[in-house]
Amino acid sequence: MSESILIAIRGLRKVYPMGKQQAVQALAGVDLDIPAGSFTVIMGPSGSGKSTLLHLVGGLDRPTAGSIQVNGQRLETLDENQLAEYRRKMVGFIFQAFNLVSSMTALENVAFPLRFSGVPPARRRQMALHLLRQVGLENRAHHRPTELSGGQQQRVAIARALAHSPRIILADEPTGNLDTASGYSIMQLLSELHRAGHTIIVVTHDTRMHRFATHLVYLLDGRVVTREDYEAAANFAALAQGGPAT
Amino acid sequence: MRFGDLLNLVLYNLGRRKGRVALTTLGVIIGTAAVILLVSLGLGLQRNATSQLWGISDLRRIEVYPNYGGGEGGPVAVAIGPGAIGSSSPSGQKLLTPAAIEEIRALEGVEYAIPRNWVGVSAVLKVGRLENYPSLLAVDTDDLAIFDYPLEAGTTRLERGTAIIGSWAARQFYDPRQRPGQEPPPQPDLLNQQVRLVLQKWTQDGQMVTKTVNLRIVGILAESRSEADGALFVRMDEATAWEEWARGQRINRNREGYNMLIVRARDPDRVLELADQINAMGYMASTPQSFVQGINNFYLVLQLIFGGVGAIALLVAAIGIANTMTMAILERTREIGLMKALGATNRDVLSIFLGEAAGIGFLGGLGGVLIGWLGSAMLNVVAITYLASQSQGGPPPTTATFTPLWLPLFALAFATLIGLISGLYPALRAATLVPVNALKYE
Repeated sequence: MSESILIAIRGLRKVYPMGKQQAVQALAGVDLDIPAGSFTVIMGPSGSGKSTLLHLVGGLDRPTAGSIQVNGQRLETLDENQLAEYRRKMVGFIFQAFNLVSSMTALENVAFPLRFSGVPPARRRQMALHLLRQVGLENRAHHRPTELSGGQQQRVAIARALAHSPRIILADEPTGNLDTASGYSIMQLLSELHRAGHTIIVVTHDTRMHRFATHLVYLLDGRVVTREDYEAAANFAALAQGGPAT
Repeated sequence: MRFGDLLNLVLYNLGRRKGRVALTTLGVIIGTAAVILLVSLGLGLQRNATSQLWGISDLRRIEVYPNYGGGEGGPVAVAIGPGAIGSSSPSGQKLLTPAAIEEIRALEGVEYAIPRNWVGVSAVLKVGRLENYPSLLAVDTDDLAIFDYPLEAGTTRLERGTAIIGSWAARQFYDPRQRPGQEPPPQPDLLNQQVRLVLQKWTQDGQMVTKTVNLRIVGILAESRSEADGALFVRMDEATAWEEWARGQRINRNREGYNMLIVRARDPDRVLELADQINAMGYMASTPQSFVQGINNFYLVLQLIFGGVGAIALLVAAIGIANTMTMAILERTREIGLMKALGATNRDVLSIFLGEAAGIGFLGGLGGVLIGWLGSAMLNVVAITYLASQSQGGPPPTTATFTPLWLPLFALAFATLIGLISGLYPALRAATLVPVNALKYE
C-alpha cells in the first residue's frame, strides 16, 4: 500500500546557543517522512531531541538548517504571520503540563483558540461544548482546571487542540503527568482521533503507546536510529546503571 | 481577532489582577486629576482677568493718535501716489485730518471713527460759588451712547449748549472760600442745572481774560473706570469755537487735525488686525486688546507650567503602567507561548497587551477626569467665596477655575495615549517572543 507523505523532513538541524562560546546540538541532521493519517510515536531518552523535533514540526520554533515540508508547505520559508496561520489551521498541540489557562473554565479554555480565528462567541461556545462532549467532559464544562483531575485536564487540552479541526495532532509526553489509568484513557482518546483521520505524532517515554502506533521513530543524540541501535543503546545505559533494559 | 473579542479579552485580563490594576490606575487618576485641576485653575485665572478687563474697557475700541514724526514709537508712513490723502505733512507727519478720518472710517470692519479732543483751553466749571476743574473732552457726535458709557441719570444726547459730566467729575465741586476746619459743602444736584464754564486766556502783558459759557448738564455718567469718569463732555463745534477764542485765530482741521480718534471695530476678533492696519497707515493705534493679548500670553505660559506639573504626575503613572505590564508579561509568558501555539499572531498578542495598557490609561483617565472636574468645581466655590470676602472694592472675581469641555476629553485621550505608549515596549516584547521559549519559561 502506498502511503502519501504528509510531513517530509530533510537534514533537519537545531542548535541552541549556550552563552557566547558554547552551543548544544539538539538535532543533528534528521531525515524523516511521516505519512498522512499515521500514528507516529517518537521515542528517545531525555535530551535526544524528540521535543525539539515536535516543536519544529509544529512551527513553534525555527530550524538552524534543513527543511520541514508539511502538506507541500515549507515551514522554514514562512513568515511569522504565515507560521501563526499554519499553527492555527494545521496543527493542534497537547502538552505534558496541559497548559490550560487557570482562570478560565473548561469551556472557555476549549473555545480560547477560536478567538484567534474570529469565530463569533455563540458559535465558539457551541463548538467548545461539542468538543467537550467528544472527550466526555460535557458535564465539567463550567469547572476551572483546579477543579478537574489531571486526566480531565488533559482531555480538556485535547478538546482545545481539536478546536480548529487540525490535520495533525502533536502531543508532547501527553501521559507524563498522569497516573496509569488516566494515561491509558488519554492514549485511547488519541487512538480514537487517529481512527477519525487525524495524523498523530506523539513524543513519549511511555512504551504502552507502542500498541497504538502505526510508526515508531527512535531518536538518539539528535539523530534517527534503527530500533536495534536504540535498544542496544538502552541496554548499554541500563547495564551502566546496574540492571537489564526492559 | 474580532474587535469585540479583543475588548472582551482585555477587560477579562484586567479583571484577573484587580489589585495591581487598581493601584496602577490610581497613579493615572492622580495624574489626570492634577492636569484637569491645574489647567482649570490656569484657565479660570485667565478668564477672571479677562472678564475684569472687559468690565473696564471696550475691547473693540482702538485709540488712534496722530504721528508727529521723528518721534517715539510707531511707524511713520508717507503717503505717496494717487491714493494718498492729504494727511501727511512734508515732514512725514500723519495727522488726523477729516480726510484721514474718512480713510480710516472706510477700512473694512470699522463700525465708527469719531474724533475726540482734549480741549486746549483753561477752564473752570462753576455752580453757584462752587468750582470744579474737569477734563474738557470734545466729541464729534450728537450722542455719547455710541461709546457705551453707562448712564447714571439724564440723557446721552449732546446738543448745543449742553454738556454731560462724568461720575467722578460730578462729585469734585469745592468751595474756594472754604475755611480750614469748615465742613465741605454738599455736592450740587447737577442734572438739568445751568452751569457756568469760565474759559480763561492770558494776554501778552499777563492779563487774564475770561469768557463765560452757560451750559446745561443733561446727563451724568455712571462710573466706567475710564477717562469718562473725570470728564465734561462737550460738542466738538462749540469746543473748537472756544479754542479759536483762546488762540485768537481760526482752527483749520485740514491742517491741524484732531488729537485723537476713537475707532470701534465691528468684530472683537479683528481689533488687533485693524489696529495693525491703522499703524501701517502711519498713525499710532493702541487698543486694550493688545494688553489683553499680553495677559493671555502670560496665562498661556502659566497653563503650560500648570499642565507640565500635571504631566509629570502622569509621567510617573506611565512608569507605573510600564512596570505593571512588564510584570504581567513575565507572569504570563507561558500563556503568551500558549496563545501563539493556538494560532495567535504577533499582532494579536501585541493588540491584547497594548489594549490592557491603554485600558489602564483609559480607566485612570476616566477616574481622573471625574475627580479633577469635581475638585475644580469645589475649588471654584471655595475660592470665590474666600476671594469675595477678601475683596476691597472693585468687582468680585467671577471664577477661580474653569473647565472647558475640551479639557476632560483631551485629558482622557491623553491618559489613554500615555497608557498605550507605556505598554508599547512590554507589548512588543510579548509579541516577538519565540513561542517555544515562552512555553518553556519557568
